[in-house]
Amino acid sequence: MNDATLIRKNLFRKRLRAVLLTISILIAFLIYGMLGAMQNAFSMGTEGAAQDRLVTVNRINFTVALPYAYWGRIQQVEGVRTVAPASWFGGYYQEPQNFVQSFAVDPESYIEAYPELVFQDDQRTAFIEGRTCAAVGQALATQYGWSVGERIPLMSNIWQQQDGSQAWELDICAIFDDADGTYPTNYLMLHYEYFNESLAFGRDSFHWIAITTEDPGQNDRISREIDELFANSPAETSTTTEAAFNAAFMEQFGNIGLILSWVIGAAFATILMIVGTTMVMAVNERTREIAVLKTLGFTAPRIFRMVLWEALLLSFIGGLIGLGLAALAAQGASAALAGFLPSFGLSWTNALTAIAFMVALGLITGMLPAWNAMRVRISEALGKI
Amino acid sequence: MLKQTTAVTLLNLRSIPQRWGMSLATVLSIALVVGVLLGFMAMASGFRATVDGAGSDDVAIMLRGGAMAEMNSNISRDEVRLLEVAPGIAASPGGEPLISSELYVVADGIRRASQTPANLALRGLGLHGPDMRPQFDLVEGRMFQPGSAELVVGESVPREFEGFALGDSVRLGNNNWTIVGVFSTGGSVFDSEIWTDLGVVQNLYQRGSSVQTVRARLTSPDAIEVLREYVENEPRLNLEVLSERAYFARSAGGTTNLIMFLGWPLAIAMAIGALAGAWNAMYASVDARTRELATLRAIGFGGFPAFIAAMVEAIVLAFFGGLVGAVATWILFDGVSASTLGSGFTQIVFAFAVTPEAVVQGVILAMIVGFLGGFIPALRAARIPLLAVHND
Repeated sequence: MNDATLIRKNLFRKRLRAVLLTISILIAFLIYGMLGAMQNAFSMGTEGAAQDRLVTVNRINFTVALPYAYWGRIQQVEGVRTVAPASWFGGYYQEPQNFVQSFAVDPESYIEAYPELVFQDDQRTAFIEGRTCAAVGQALATQYGWSVGERIPLMSNIWQQQDGSQAWELDICAIFDDADGTYPTNYLMLHYEYFNESLAFGRDSFHWIAITTEDPGQNDRISREIDELFANSPAETSTTTEAAFNAAFMEQFGNIGLILSWVIGAAFATILMIVGTTMVMAVNERTREIAVLKTLGFTAPRIFRMVLWEALLLSFIGGLIGLGLAALAAQGASAALAGFLPSFGLSWTNALTAIAFMVALGLITGMLPAWNAMRVRISEALGKI
Repeated sequence: MLKQTTAVTLLNLRSIPQRWGMSLATVLSIALVVGVLLGFMAMASGFRATVDGAGSDDVAIMLRGGAMAEMNSNISRDEVRLLEVAPGIAASPGGEPLISSELYVVADGIRRASQTPANLALRGLGLHGPDMRPQFDLVEGRMFQPGSAELVVGESVPREFEGFALGDSVRLGNNNWTIVGVFSTGGSVFDSEIWTDLGVVQNLYQRGSSVQTVRARLTSPDAIEVLREYVENEPRLNLEVLSERAYFARSAGGTTNLIMFLGWPLAIAMAIGALAGAWNAMYASVDARTRELATLRAIGFGGFPAFIAAMVEAIVLAFFGGLVGAVATWILFDGVSASTLGSGFTQIVFAFAVTPEAVVQGVILAMIVGFLGGFIPALRAARIPLLAVHND
């Protein structure tokens, strides 16, 4: 019989208690995992943002349009590699509730600006060449069950055509994915030209312009030069890095991150108290046994380690099951929410942090009882009889 | 029997301080569970109160068909003219129809808490605009002058955003504005908005003569049917007619549900965790008094009083936990101001509201945890064999 067996036997001597503790730890890590996955979904855009990409929007606000002519003028700025303008389409499919994130783009420049989007070669060509073509992200295509070759009417809740209709007929020519899974693919792109020429109002304008630069080191200079170009014009611009733009947008939802951290903190504090007091109690019950072990020649540090390992083992059993359940649940939720939130899942960072938390939980809840156990005096403990 | 029960229960409760470590842990963990639940409920009810308070039944709002939100809507001058003569609309003392054509653009405000820009609604509205908001009241200063770059701001705006105090001059987009008044609409969503004259917004933001929505005060809530029929039978109008209450209920549903659907599952998950804590604490409590209980049995006390005593102990601990959690949430969160992005792409400022109903629900949740956590240990307390008196 080695120490590991002893630790295991000690942990499960009161089966009900061990199961209850495991469940409470499991729940703490389940909450941690689910909220972590949600936080990932909200910060996705920031992580997926490329270093060399800038976004130009109207200085008033990104909901106000920019004139068509800016496309060409920004192209002239030194250090600018590609300029890809886009307009918000406000699309929905069949029912207004079926929101489809969609924008009108110039296909060639857009694909150049977003090299992380993966197209099959023939589909890319088809999308660029076909005026009524749309390219659909994999996540969105899965959500509505669309496939290449289908023709869909996409309604807009903003734009109207000259004949008063709000539906644009689109051919799905391409389904794109992203290269490394960090960029959301829950949107649809249609041809700017096709969109623009039938508009009843608001023609020849863009909502934002994505710019790639030749060298990220030049980003500051380039954004300044672009904004100076349009200073004191009716449509002044504001140019920032894509990451800063996305972060500022998410910031508007309020302190989601802060609230999530509070909840996780509360869950952990609860569990820490429960596990901690129970461990102290469990070890106190064993005072006499520990004295016997000492009599048999177990050294104090060895007993200290054994009790600490017991706490760590408990923390890991509960924690790993909880994390596993959270990963499964996140996968399920991800399928259901594909259209709204980009991939909703646990990252490696989450998993590693959770493991660090398991170690910390085990150490904190094990330290006091282990210390008590180490200091048990044989004479006193056995004298209690 | 009753005497016995009371005696054992009191004995039990009085001895709680001797087991304070375990008991305190139970109380605190239940308090945290209740705190998390109430925090979410306070957020949801604060948000709902703000958005619901905005809608009245006798105001109709008209948007372009399929627009879903004001932001996406677009109504031409000709359509507004047709609406001015529509039936079912109340008239002002001067005899004109009580109608307000409105257009809003999004402006940037700097949020105090995070120093980051956030979208504010700059709403242009006509003379009768305030008449559409029953609780409208000018708290400070005066109303804007039509045709000038003057603003009145809702009372939540200066609280949550920088630079919007009375008398301040503020730059929005390419224009300088002066703040001449602060208004209140009784805590509704309009309190997060900035108002000015419709014509000024149309000019400065190059919107021509188009507007987004037309609000109309109805002669009675039922008159909306008359108005709707008129709009449907008029081929030149492609509009959706909704009561303002229905419009806001539609736009608030998503966010409130999100908050609630997150809050309850979390609280229940945490409650299961706390259940384990309560269970352990009660087992410890019963264990600690094995001999005592056996002695009581030996001198003629029944098992039932022991059961009741343990249950009462568990429920009392849970009740205190619930109370501590509720009071802490109330002190920390009641009235805290927060804002989030609403359906119109602009900020809605709302205050957390810890309601008495929420407190009651929280305490009930706590007591359920206590009841479930205490039940099995209490059964055990009732079944302690007489011979346990010799244990140890």
